[in-house]
Amino acid sequence: MRFTKAIVPIALCIMLLSLAAPAQKYKGRTAKPPDPIVVSAIDTNELKDLLTQQRKRPLLVNFWATYCDPCRDEFPDLVKIDKEYRPHALEFVTVSLDDMADIKTGVPKFLDAMKATMPAYLLNASDPEPAINIVDTRWRGDLPATYLYNEKGEIVYKHIGRVNPVELREAIEKVVKKGDSQ
Amino acid sequence: MKRNLSILLASLFVIAGAIFATGARAEGEVPAPPAIGATIEDFTLTDVDNKERSLKSLAGKNGTVLLFIAVQCPVSNAYNERMAKLAEDYKAKGIAVIGINSNVAEAAAAVKAHAEQNKLSFPILKDSGNKIADKLGASVTPEAYFIDAGNKLLYHGRIDNARNAAQLETSDLRNALDAALAGKAIEKTEAKAFGCSIKRA
Repeated sequence: MRFTKAIVPIALCIMLLSLAAPAQKYKGRTAKPPDPIVVSAIDTNELKDLLTQQRKRPLLVNFWATYCDPCRDEFPDLVKIDKEYRPHALEFVTVSLDDMADIKTGVPKFLDAMKATMPAYLLNASDPEPAINIVDTRWRGDLPATYLYNEKGEIVYKHIGRVNPVELREAIEKVVKKGDSQ
Repeated sequence: MKRNLSILLASLFVIAGAIFATGARAEGEVPAPPAIGATIEDFTLTDVDNKERSLKSLAGKNGTVLLFIAVQCPVSNAYNERMAKLAEDYKAKGIAVIGINSNVAEAAAAVKAHAEQNKLSFPILKDSGNKIADKLGASVTPEAYFIDAGNKLLYHGRIDNARNAAQLETSDLRNALDAALAGKAIEKTEAKAFGCSIKRA
């Protein structure tokens, strides 16, 4: 009897531990992985709508491609700027001019490696020229190209080639509403 | 000792300034290209065998296509077959194709190996110091310039609309060549070139 009284709490402890152990294992196995980066196709008309619509915040757009060295070089700076401003003051999207075949491979792979979380598009146009002209008739299509639009959809800053982050920040500070940048 | 340190620091500033000045040349600062109708001056560059070749010595009797190309650029490489075919198709019609590599990191030996590997049979010149790329305002690879027998610029821009040959819709460069050969006005004299930025010195 004394033996039975002693064994019951021990057995209960073992049972509880055995229940807890798989739960722990389960928790570790299903810890939510980061969302995979989705790159959306955008055609010329959709790009036009995106750029020209009125919005509550300024919009920063970076045109780039995985094959473009200065694009890759500047990306860490863009990711920092994104994390600094997009949560409260700015909209920021990237538009890749890679081939559509790269939409699920090379482009998200690069963005993932950069830990880039801004909305990402890939231009879906067999002829890129109309899209280039919609952005800026004076842009020759060379990459990278970075454009900043105000709330009315007007270009307030542009830079062709690798961005100077100090200069870009200054341009952003000029258009974001005071109080929003903090 | 202090004087030496000052000289050393001053030298470092000068070197850093020079590096910054060189590196600060952004791709957006490419000189403007000549206007359509402008005359392109003759020039001399070395080919992949280090022989001097002038534009005049390589020009076709009915015109010349200058193609800025690259070894490592995937867009330029997507056009290798199309460029080789273009050179072949128009050679018999008196239009010569000349490749120009202005990328600072692509040496003549690499350009030669790449041409052999990809069956690019047209002459390719090495534009060291990107002097010709600057003169013509070339910014990407591939980028084409078509000049007539008098070196007058008739067309500048892309080869066609699509990196992916399966999506080919408009062969802008071929259209320009065909119009010129037929003695007709070229409908589209400029089309924005797309590709990898030329890596300048």
